[in-house]
Amino acid sequence: MIQFLEWLQGTRLAIAITETWFPLVESFHVITMAIVAGTIFIVDTRLVGLTSLKLPFTYISGRLLPWTWAAFACSVVTGTLMFMANAATYYENTPFRVKMALLVLAGLNMLYFQKVTFRTVSAWDSGRAPSAARLAGFISIGLWCAVIGFGRWIGFVVGAE
Amino acid sequence: MKLAAINDWLMSTSLSQLIQTTSWAIPGIQVVHIVCLATLFALALNVSLRVAGRGLAAEPLASLAGRFVPAIWICLAVLLLSGVLLIVAEPFRTITNPVFYLKMSLLIVAIALTLWLSSVARRQVGKPTPFHIALATVSILIWAGIIVAGRYIAYADHY
Repeated sequence: MIQFLEWLQGTRLAIAITETWFPLVESFHVITMAIVAGTIFIVDTRLVGLTSLKLPFTYISGRLLPWTWAAFACSVVTGTLMFMANAATYYENTPFRVKMALLVLAGLNMLYFQKVTFRTVSAWDSGRAPSAARLAGFISIGLWCAVIGFGRWIGFVVGAE
Repeated sequence: MKLAAINDWLMSTSLSQLIQTTSWAIPGIQVVHIVCLATLFALALNVSLRVAGRGLAAEPLASLAGRFVPAIWICLAVLLLSGVLLIVAEPFRTITNPVFYLKMSLLIVAIALTLWLSSVARRQVGKPTPFHIALATVSILIWAGIIVAGRYIAYADHY
């Protein structure tokens, strides 16, 4: 593993990022992350019953989540480029590992919501969501705040403050 | 130099001392700042998309702006407060940094454009003109520029 990571950060692309492009890639990562987390917060606050209550849940989620996914794809690309610049160090970095684990948990929370809770959506689409759905919304908000927190923390351990 | 004196004075205040000596304070304030900037950016993006007839388009522009623009101001208030705390804690990062002043200039433009967009929304303009769509696009690009400038404050060589 460590050999692969050392090869990765020795590639011409990784060296160019380290020497020149890191701040710009990082800035784009913040912009795409803002779209991911921000749109998720808008959908989740509707789900837990704090905002947009006059509009159906599926309307808000259907209109916003395509933007979330597009921005998430861009975040993965920019995140991977940043990882390449310092692959071996990030791999050993605890905040980085916690952030990846939290992203997996956010994915599992979403998957469970989609496969189980969301099946009854026709019954609560226009009104207040059931407790299981609201719980998924609160968990999602918490996990994404934690993802942002640990993401910021990575920078205090590796690279610029 | 005057800015150096302001820096020393800010750093000697008890608020600055408190933030400097609390290990989690600066990362904690930064996380609040980042969560609010994410929320603000997504809200502003949706207002601009709605002006262009996209995104949450089933809701009238006036209604959407009536919900989202006040939320933008709340996020902005928290961003200003957390930003001021970060400046008080480490004034040398910003007050002599040209990138910080670029960010603040862009912020004034973004606030003006948001005020203008919300007044357009309130007047219930029937169909948005290409001019409205162009300025909605510019406002999003400026918010994005503020994010980029914010990140570059950490990299700008200004000593």
